[in-house]
Amino acid sequence: MRAVATATAPAFTRRLARSRVRRWAGSGLTYLGLAAALVFFLGPFFWIVTTSLKGNEDFFSFPPRWIPLEPSLAHYERLFTKASGLRYFGNSLLVSTLSMFAALVVSLPTAYSIARWRFGGGALSTVLLVLRMLPAIALIIPVYLMYRAFGLTNSYLGLILLYTVVYIPFAVWLLVGFLRDFPVEIEEAALIDGCTRLKALIRVVVPIIAPGLAVVALFAFIATWNEFLFAVVLTGIETKTMMVLVTSFTSGGTDMFYGEASASVVLGVLPAFAVAFALQRYLVKGLALGGTKG
Amino acid sequence: MRAAALALRRKQWEPLAFASPSLVLIALVIVFPLVYAFFLSLRNFDLSVGPGSEYVGLQNYTEALFRDGRFWGSVWNTALIIAPSLALELVLGLGLALLLNRRIRARSILTALLAIPPMVSPVMAAMAWRMMFGVKYGAINNVGLQLGLIDVYFDWFSSPLISIVAVVLVEIWHNTPFMMLVLLAGLQSIPQELYEAAKADGASPWQSFWSITLPLLKFTVAVAVMIRMIDLTKLFGLIFILTYGGPGGSTETVAFNTFLVGFNDFRMSYASALSFLIVLGVLLLTLAFLWVSRQREARAA
Repeated sequence: MRAVATATAPAFTRRLARSRVRRWAGSGLTYLGLAAALVFFLGPFFWIVTTSLKGNEDFFSFPPRWIPLEPSLAHYERLFTKASGLRYFGNSLLVSTLSMFAALVVSLPTAYSIARWRFGGGALSTVLLVLRMLPAIALIIPVYLMYRAFGLTNSYLGLILLYTVVYIPFAVWLLVGFLRDFPVEIEEAALIDGCTRLKALIRVVVPIIAPGLAVVALFAFIATWNEFLFAVVLTGIETKTMMVLVTSFTSGGTDMFYGEASASVVLGVLPAFAVAFALQRYLVKGLALGGTKG
Repeated sequence: MRAAALALRRKQWEPLAFASPSLVLIALVIVFPLVYAFFLSLRNFDLSVGPGSEYVGLQNYTEALFRDGRFWGSVWNTALIIAPSLALELVLGLGLALLLNRRIRARSILTALLAIPPMVSPVMAAMAWRMMFGVKYGAINNVGLQLGLIDVYFDWFSSPLISIVAVVLVEIWHNTPFMMLVLLAGLQSIPQELYEAAKADGASPWQSFWSITLPLLKFTVAVAVMIRMIDLTKLFGLIFILTYGGPGGSTETVAFNTFLVGFNDFRMSYASALSFLIVLGVLLLTLAFLWVSRQREARAA
């Protein structure tokens, strides 16, 4: 017995060592690949942030300085004062927040009707899905003409209305999923106690599915924040959003106003960062149905 | 029990009442404008000419399909952007998903960090990259010079071909993480026992990738590719910022071309017709996708 053990031991350790080396090399390559991916996917953000913090000294230095020696907020200050950046940032915030709430308020009862009473059957769900796939370019031409006739161009109301409605199909679709997971018994109890449907929905269902509502709300917020085509056509000098503001920095070839442009990009991507972390678990579902596109 | 059933019995009007606010809004703000646009596409309404217009039948559609070289150019450009973008997003996304699916540390934080680009608006992504492509102060030329990869300040938007390459690069940066997330979810739904069984039978990792991972991932791949394809046919914001269709219209996509016809030339009727052709294209893609997935289900059953 002993002899056998000693005879196989060296071979065994050799094999163990080889597999260990292989595993070690494998995980080394894995981390190397992921590190490369991080550099590629986050590098642009790093560069934009550092550029926005560079003063002239750092910006024009040769060889280029990747990290500013004397960080300054001068570009942000100029963006806010000269380019009305603060106003447009506020516009984006206002339009996104109000559209988000309006979309939720309108979509929730509809989703409830579909989830509890199968309202509209499969047909309604299909219609909602098709509306979700509808290219924005098909909608903007008639909407622009109608808004022009009603005096709704260059108005917050017009933009918020459009964003709210365009977002309904997506919000309903997500909310139906959350409502189907909700136990009917709790609602029944409230109904027996003499609540009306609407009261039961607001007082009993809403507090319990609040996390789901938050998910839908955040997706709605980021989608309207990111939306560009409707905004660029329908807004004017007072109602521009951040997405429209950056277009004013693109004139003048590829070497343009780096300072203010980079500062506005930093402000423009800020909500995306926040929401990406808040929504980690739901990203696939949301992105798949165009959750981040208006 | 009886009381519960009684309470749950709905009033006849309730489902409709609950659903009606959204339905009314959708009818007014989406369906009505679309119907209006369809009738508009049968006329010759041109804002730069005047408010009057007359019925011209399908003339706008026949013009687009048979006489409009620019439209077909934009179809070609869109295809030229979609094909390499999809292929590379799929390959890179699958690679990243496989890496993230290994036994690694800090997986969730890495996934979250890599998932940021698709949350950013196409406009902001394009703006950041436009600055990165900047001739003198852009990061790309400067990194290239420092590493000795290039020896002159390179203008990335001077030639049609390189402009397309630049657009595809930004598109890949923007949406590969989406592919990665969807495929990672697909990978995680494959039962681990299959791999253990394969290993016990002496299969190499390479063999189990080809005979377990890929076949089981096929459907996820099809769904993800389809979603990206439909999305890419609407490519607009990225083009608007990065190239504005240039140089010489070589990066004009169908959506961007329609936008220019509508809001630069003010040919509202013609732009409506073009937009309905895009809708038709997206619809055909969606149907093709549904057909493919039905086929697959039928074969599996």
